[in-house]
Amino acid sequence: NNSSQLSSLPLQILLYINGIYYIFYFLATLAMIIYKSQVFSYPDDLLAPDLAVLFLMGILEVPRLYLGFKGNLTEAEAPLGLSLGLTVGSVVLCVYLLLWQTYVLWADVLLNAVLLSTYGLESGLKITAIAAFVS
Amino acid sequence: PADTRDAARVRSAPAPLTDVARLCVCDLLVAQCDVNCCCDPDCSAEDFSLFTSCSVPVVTGDSQLCNQKAAVYSLDVEANPPERIFKLIDQVNPSIFCIHATNYKQALYLKSPEIPTPENFDRLLEKFGGASFRAEPDSWDLDTDAQNPPEANETSRYEYGVPVQTEDAFLRLPSPVVTSWCSDANPAGFLVNQATKCIRSVSVEKCDSIQALSMLFYINSSILASVFQVDITVQSIVVQSLDGMRTLLSSSDVLRLPMVLDDLCINAVLGVNYHITHTDTGEIIEAAAAFVLGAISKEELSIEQSFEISFTQANTQPVPLSGNPGYVVGLPVRAGFQPQGYPSPAAFLSNKHSQLTILQSTSTQDCLAAQGARAPVLFGYNMISGCKLRITAAMKCQPLAQTLLDVLKGQSFPEYVASFGNSQAQDVLDWVPITQLHISEQMVSHTLQSPCQIPVSLGIEVKWTKYGSLVNPQARIVNVTATITTTTLKQLPSGRERIIPITSSVVFTDISSPAEPSYKAWPTINIKLPFDFFYPFV
Repeated sequence: NNSSQLSSLPLQILLYINGIYYIFYFLATLAMIIYKSQVFSYPDDLLAPDLAVLFLMGILEVPRLYLGFKGNLTEAEAPLGLSLGLTVGSVVLCVYLLLWQTYVLWADVLLNAVLLSTYGLESGLKITAIAAFVS
Repeated sequence: PADTRDAARVRSAPAPLTDVARLCVCDLLVAQCDVNCCCDPDCSAEDFSLFTSCSVPVVTGDSQLCNQKAAVYSLDVEANPPERIFKLIDQVNPSIFCIHATNYKQALYLKSPEIPTPENFDRLLEKFGGASFRAEPDSWDLDTDAQNPPEANETSRYEYGVPVQTEDAFLRLPSPVVTSWCSDANPAGFLVNQATKCIRSVSVEKCDSIQALSMLFYINSSILASVFQVDITVQSIVVQSLDGMRTLLSSSDVLRLPMVLDDLCINAVLGVNYHITHTDTGEIIEAAAAFVLGAISKEELSIEQSFEISFTQANTQPVPLSGNPGYVVGLPVRAGFQPQGYPSPAAFLSNKHSQLTILQSTSTQDCLAAQGARAPVLFGYNMISGCKLRITAAMKCQPLAQTLLDVLKGQSFPEYVASFGNSQAQDVLDWVPITQLHISEQMVSHTLQSPCQIPVSLGIEVKWTKYGSLVNPQARIVNVTATITTTTLKQLPSGRERIIPITSSVVFTDISSPAEPSYKAWPTINIKLPFDFFYPFV
């Protein structure tokens, strides 16, 4: 880290990759839910919660990434802290899709595991960045 | 008490067997070894040594699971004696879309059926207690929205057998299908006279909501015919009481809908009789329905409804045809009279009762006692009948002869017989005159006095021919001859009596000439040179 710049480059890169990966993840999970509903017995009262969780996660992701970028680039800890809070919510939803979905395919496991590890790494980097900004 | 405790206990079907080691599809015989079934627990090692192969080599759960146990059965034929090998292995599905886990227990198993308990029995009975589990086909009405409405010139003319179309779908004539329960999906065909009876399940509580018990169900949609729509009018209403007595109502314009009254459901439709009037070109011009309404008591769970439809041509008296156009075997031969004014071409008098009839034999066999019992002559059926006449000395000849003639020929012996089964009274040429012959059995004796002749037999000979195409020949009556045979009545000494048999017979003779198929003439090549072909030289 150069002394004059407190913004974290790894965090920036990770946030950028996270954004791209999330778009792929969202489309892939949605396609797989559609596939599952056609191939397996998927009653409507189980399909609705799964779809709701996916869309909620998508809605959360946008402010989360925006706040992360903004906080990191402006070296402000408040947006970064808020982004961290939203990350916690996203992690919960991701764990739901990994463990408590109606049908968890092997592809689901892979996608969610990658996303969880990305979130974990991101959270670690955000905490480090906040510590750097505060001090 | 014990039964309420039992009722409170939750009853469930036996749990699905998911242990692959214990699942065996080929184990069909109980406590016996199934041949070539390697997973059968009833088989011993000696049985396995006799098997040739394993009919069920692998038992697994759903193949879409990523990771599951599989029981593999095989026969080791190398060993002596052959023995069965059982292995429990982990089967892995390499696909990336295999099911890793599922949180929905019924996902991979067939649904366990609901066990009836006293609590859910009524609900299950309502849902599954009928003859079929599907609801009434309401899609019946929805289908016609999807169809294009028929063109005006298509509905104007109906052909035989075509379903009579109404505003919504077809004119319904409920009839039994397979079982005796009513099905409302039977359309009435044009010119197809039908009469059906079927059973409908009813309940007095819901009697005003059951559509098929209400008059409106049968008359609310109007029939599509040419440009107009023909409404079905109520021709008459007959009310049947619980003990079966029927009363005709004087005013039939009031619509009587079913309603519950004192544990009875009154004004329920027990029978409908449709009368459709059409023109000779196939256009429906009028439709009427005659109802029989009755009452349903609380104990009755089903009633029998009867439905009938008949088609009449406008401006004609409905005369039952004996064939169209040729005579149908077994239908009565139609006959008629030429009204006064012959030879001017006038129409024949032919009504339902003008048939060719012969004497019908009765059990008493006495000619003079058998008054008026006559049987119609059916086309194609040769008939013979007779009676015995007891002649006493006191009988006078002339009146006796006249009586016998009446007995043989009947009150109104027709003069003409219809040539075709559907001959109209106006078409004079379609009617064949009955030739009357008189044969005297005995030659006139040499006595001077003219002996009295009494008719003893009437023989009707009907000559018919096949007419029309080779493929579908129609029977046509060509000639009818009625022969009266008379015999001399010898005067009997007083006190004596004689019994004479009197017979009448009908014989149908086929005089059709062998059919010759005719073929179209071979086309000829018509080559003619033009007139001025050899112009310069000729």
